This record gives sequence, structure tokens and C-alpha cells, in this order.
Amino acid sequence: MEEQTPVLEMRDIVKVYPDGTKALKGVTIKVYEGEILGLLGENGAGKTTLMKILFGMLKPTRGKIFLRGKEVRFKSPADAIANGIGMVHQHFTLVEVFNALENIILGMEGHGLLSKIDVENARKKLQKLMDELNFQVPLDVPVENLPVGVQQRIEILKMLYRDVDILILDEPTAVLTPIEVRELFAVLRKLKEQGKTIIFISHKLNEVMEITDRVTVIRKGEVVGTVKTSEATPQLLARMMVGRDVVLRIEKPPKEPGEVIFRVEDLWVKGDRGEDAVRGLTFEVRAGEIFGIAGVEGNGQSELIEAIAGLRKVEKGKVYLKGVDITGKRPRELYDMGMAHIPEDRTHMGLILEMSVMENSILGMHWRKEFSKGFLLDWNKVEEHAKRLIEEFEVSAPGTKAPVKSLSGGNQQKLIVAREVSKRPDFIIAAQPTRGVDVASTEYIRNYLVKLRNENKAVLLVSADLDEVLQLSDRMAIMYEGQFMGIVKPDEVTEEQIGLMMGGVKGEPQK
Amino acid sequence: MNEAMVISLLLGSLAAMVPIALTSVGAVISERAGVVNIGYEGILMFSAFFGAIFAELAGNGWVGILGGAFVGLLFGALHGVLTVYLKGDHVIPGIGLNLLGAGAVAFGIRAYWGTAGQHTVPSDAQISPLWMDAFGNSLSPMVPITIAVAIVAWWVLFKTPFGLRIRAVGENPEAADALGINVELYRFTAVLIASALAGVAGAYLSVDWLGTVTKQIAAGRGFIALANMVFSGWNPLIALGGAFLFGFFDNLAIYIQNNPWLAGTIPWQFIATLPYVVTLIVVAGIIGRARPPKWDGRPYKRE
Repeated sequence: MEEQTPVLEMRDIVKVYPDGTKALKGVTIKVYEGEILGLLGENGAGKTTLMKILFGMLKPTRGKIFLRGKEVRFKSPADAIANGIGMVHQHFTLVEVFNALENIILGMEGHGLLSKIDVENARKKLQKLMDELNFQVPLDVPVENLPVGVQQRIEILKMLYRDVDILILDEPTAVLTPIEVRELFAVLRKLKEQGKTIIFISHKLNEVMEITDRVTVIRKGEVVGTVKTSEATPQLLARMMVGRDVVLRIEKPPKEPGEVIFRVEDLWVKGDRGEDAVRGLTFEVRAGEIFGIAGVEGNGQSELIEAIAGLRKVEKGKVYLKGVDITGKRPRELYDMGMAHIPEDRTHMGLILEMSVMENSILGMHWRKEFSKGFLLDWNKVEEHAKRLIEEFEVSAPGTKAPVKSLSGGNQQKLIVAREVSKRPDFIIAAQPTRGVDVASTEYIRNYLVKLRNENKAVLLVSADLDEVLQLSDRMAIMYEGQFMGIVKPDEVTEEQIGLMMGGVKGEPQK
Repeated sequence: MNEAMVISLLLGSLAAMVPIALTSVGAVISERAGVVNIGYEGILMFSAFFGAIFAELAGNGWVGILGGAFVGLLFGALHGVLTVYLKGDHVIPGIGLNLLGAGAVAFGIRAYWGTAGQHTVPSDAQISPLWMDAFGNSLSPMVPITIAVAIVAWWVLFKTPFGLRIRAVGENPEAADALGINVELYRFTAVLIASALAGVAGAYLSVDWLGTVTKQIAAGRGFIALANMVFSGWNPLIALGGAFLFGFFDNLAIYIQNNPWLAGTIPWQFIATLPYVVTLIVVAGIIGRARPPKWDGRPYKRE
């Protein structure tokens, strides 16, 4: 394989951002025709930056790109596409109100800017593409009404419609269910059969092991090495990616749960569009227990959390915290009663990005006496508090006065966890606690949740990451269309059974 | 109400529909592309004024209409450069334009014609009607033109590549950009079309419908057009219907005021609000809560 010319080579790419951050320190990668190359690395390792340079979205500070042996430089994504390179981003670039057909043909609708679009012709071409790949997407429904997995296929189709032969996929499985991941992999294999070259960006070891032919591992803006997947093991890749041995398993000693701390009875909540998002849920979380809720996103988890945390109206049913009815209470009352909430979207709900680390460190308890001096905030005490959090949780921040947006995603998340825990709660809601967080921080946060459980706190974990729920929970529920398909113990079910429940099949009732 | 009255009411409604429809349709195109402009009132003022001047110099009303379009185009280009290329705020330039229009036209009438507040456009500089009866009821050629403009705008927006791209840059410019669509060019073009249409509407006021230039000639029609655009759900055809409805009730109000039997019983101030209230209720009722284009009023900067 090594003697043939790579179809694509990025040689010695350096990227220094205007603020002096060195994102890439001389990265060289080679991609051969018809292979699936895995680009593995933690968040912030530089994978996405590298691909944005290839796709013409960023200018490299230094370095060259060769396509089929000829040096190229793309000025824009459109330029890259014209040269046969397509990219599917982690955050889709679809026009939400357009249907699939309109999204796909946009920019190459056919002849004549002011003549009627030949919809039937485009439909025929797309149908042929879909038949070849053995999947279907509805072409006439606005894409905002379609599931994420389907939207992703529309993105792939959009690129294939433009005859690309190199396809970059940035963290394509981050938003998918296990079943959708399997379907995506089937599509990728089919594309490979057709002779397409694929670059698969991920930080998930098992996926890279399953789908790729070779893996290039990037760490902190440098290539650690490239290995053939058939000769690699997850342990080897993990070590290359993190630079040390990682504990992939979480230490969780057995523990008898204590009294009921939190209880929900026949809870009904409406979603933004007035639909019943949560439909009659009943469950409890005990002291010293992690209760996990798994399921595909958009099945009512967000509405459930918001209702519990006092951010959304409860239509019917009751919520109890330590035996007290807290239905309809406001967030501030809930915090004072011993609830803490790690929200699912850290940049919108968890932090105020423009404000400093110090200011963010007291959000939700800024009214407490410990931070005030008469009518004013006692900034010395606030700073002390922020410093304590930074130290205890190993948050790497330029300082307590630095804006939170200057922190990496992992450190932002650690700051939120630190802040919520410092409220000294008895009941903690952890929603997507490690989403978009690097491996080291993920490990830290997961271990911390277990530590809270060991300290006899009640933890409600809601996550789209099935492995996370399986690893951490003492009991777990699988949510589908606002209801639980079953409440099970993670070590008593197979992944197959869980997969079925995530798809809406009710599990065996547990005693 | 006899037959003559019905004809009079209908023709009056169509005449009143024209400026609001043209401005609304333009505004729909601009906002579909993601550019807000609240300066149409100012454009109406300026183009009514300059349209009359052009028409009188040429002795032809159509030259006035073209001149109005040209004046609109100039202000549109200014707004486009500020918002699309320099990524400025979309609302502030419009406020400036409206204030400027109100002051400059009052001054301009005095400076150019030497009269205070009002100038009558001579009939040779006015557009002659397509049809006219003995009572002075008439149908302007601008009426069919306006209906055609609305239909063509709808067809272009929803059936052609150009329209698809206009809507794409207003909904998700990033997606459009990634597919090689020149976001700035499409947005700028949409702003130009919109302001040229408002310019035509302004000239129509002075060289056709009203046949006069006054210091308050726009009379809030630029703002009504914007409201009509919102309630139409950013759809040119419904905007045309909304404009007709407004024109109808505007004329009905005048009819009621001129009818001694009705005018005595209902206070005229109440009747004068009729076109505004009814248009809003009907159009809003048909459409419900429409969603504006997602990137409406937001400048697009590449990462």
C-alpha cells in the first residue's frame, strides 16, 4: 500500500490562530484511494481544524496539500467540493425549512437562474443515488421535521450529488443511536465498495476499530502515529490518543441504596410545540444511587429535566424532593432545598460565556450570604471560592478573571460540575455531563459522579451516551416517546435488549 | 349602494393597493434574503419627490416612475453596502432614512417649486389611465403591472434557482456559502430589487394616483407595507391580497365619511382606523403566526 501515491496528502500543516494558540504543529497525513482512514484524537487535538483547512474553511499558516500528486489550495468549501472533496460537519449545514431535495440541489439546480427548477429530473438522479446506496430519505418533508440520522444522510447525499470522491465525516456518530450508527456504517461500506475514499473523524475507539482500514492518531496538534486497524487494539489506540494508560472502566464499589430522596409520580409535561413530551413517568432516586436515563435524544428527556428543575410547567403529576412536594417550585427555591443541576447545554444554560470564571462560579447561589457584604457582592470571597473550585477540580483556566469562553469545553464542563457540587446538594441532575468533553475530563467527571454516589447523594443521570449510562448507573431507564420502556439494572441486560427498548419495544417488567 | 358606487369603490381600492403591494413585495424579497430595511417610508418620500421632478422635466409620467425606481435603487445600494458588505446594523440606516425623507422633501418642495407643503403635478407629467368613466373613476396601468409584479415575485421566489438561493441565504447563509453561493451578492441584489420597487411605489403616488407632491405624501404607507409583509408570512401573493384589503377598507372609510347618513352616527376617527384594524385582523387570521426567515436581520460573516 505504501508505494502507491496517496490520493490526498496534507504535508507539514501548521495552524497558529491570531491569539497565538498553536492548533496544529506540523501535521502530515496521507490518504489512499478507496480506504477509510480514521482520524482519532481527543476533543481539541486538532482533528477538526485540520479538516477545515482541507475543506477550504480555514487558511493554514504553513504547509501544503496535494491532491493526486498535484499541489492544491482551496479558497472555500465550494472550491473543495468542485475538486471532489466533500465534508459532513458535526453540526449540519442544512436549511431547516427546505426539504431534502431543495437542500441537496441548492447551488446546482440546473440551467438558468430564472427558469423553473427541474424538480423531476433532480428527483430521478437522487433516487438513483439512493438506490445504489441502499437507503431512502423522504425528499419532500422539511428537514427540520426529520430525525438527526436522516438529516445526516441528506448531508451525505448532498455531497455525493456533487460527485465528490473523498468524503470527510466529522464525528458522525455523536448524535446517532446504536441502530443509526449501524446503518451509517453500512452506507460507508457501500461507498467504499464504490471506490470512494473516506476520512472518518472520531474519538470513539470501538467505532474506529470497526469501520476504518488505517488510523492516524493526533494529539495536541501533532501526529502520534498511523497504524493499520487490523494490527491495532483499543488499548494501544487509547494510549496513543491520551498519551498515557487510561482507565476505561470506572471503579464502582457495590453499595446498598438508602432512603428515597427524589420521587416523580405520573408526570406529564408538554414540549415546545404543545405535544405531550413526557407521558406519565413514575420513578424514584435513592440516596447513594445513580439512576440513569438512556434513550435517543428528543424522546422527552430535555422536557423531563426542565420540569424537574423548575424550568418548565408540569401539566399533571407530582415531584417530591426529600418528601416535600416541589411541583411548580422555582429554581431558586429548589437550589435552596438541596437540588443541583448540571444542564445539558453548557454554553446556553450552564454558563454565561462572556462573563469571567469567577462570576460564573457563583451563578445560582450568588444570593447566598457567604458571597455578600451588605448589599454588595464580596468579590474577595467570590474569588476565593473560584480558586478553590479550580484547584479542587483541576480546571485549567488562565485565571479567575478570564472569560469562561476562553476555556476548553472540557474545562467549562468541569467548572459547571464544580459549581453545582459546591452548592452542597443532596440530589444532583446530571444531563449529558460529558458531551463534547475530552477523554481525560470525561473520566474525571464520571468518577466524580460515582464519588457523589458513594457519599450517599442521589444522582439522576440523563445521557445520550449509552456507554456512560451503562457504566455509571445502578439502575437505568430507557426512555422512548415520553415513556420508560423499562427500568433495568445495567449488568442484567444485553446491549441488544437496550437497543430494542431505545427503538420503542417495551422490555420485560422487572421485579 | 348602486352599481356606480361599487365600481368606484373597487377602482379606488385597486389604486390604493398599488403602493402598499409594491413595497410589501419588495420587502418580502429583501427579508427572504435576510436583510431588514425599515426605511421604505423614507424611500417613498424621496421617490415621490424626485419622481415628480423627473416626470415634469421629461413631460412624461413613465420617466417619473423610472426615476423613482432609480432613486430607490440608490438608497437601496447605500443600505445594502452598510448591512450586507460592512455587516452593520439593519435597523439604524432605515431610521435615518425615514427622518431624512420627512425633512428633506418638505424642504425640497419649497426649494424646487417655491410652494409650501404641496405641489400639483401638471397633467402632461402624469400617467394617463387605461380606462376612465364620466364620473372620474379610472384604472391606472400600474394596477395590472403591480399584480404581475407580485405573481412574478412569487414564482421567482418559490420556483426558480434564484429564489431558492435568495431564501437559502436568508435562512442559513452558512449552508449556502458552503455550496458556493455568493451570500453577499444575493443579499445585495435582493435589497436592490426591494428598494427599486419601493421607489416605483413612491413615484406612483405623485405622478399617477395622487397627482401631487406633499410633505406627508407617504402617510405611513412604508410602515403599513412592513406590517403587511409580516402578516403575509413573507409571501408575495398574500401580501398583494393584504394590500388590496387595506385599499378596500381605506376607500370604504372615505365612503362612509362622505355619507352624511352614516357619518353622523359613527365618529369619523373610529372609521379612519378601519382599514388598519381590519387588514391586520384578516391577514393575521389567515396566516396565523408565521415564522420569519431564520437569519433575517443578521449580518453573515464567514468564520
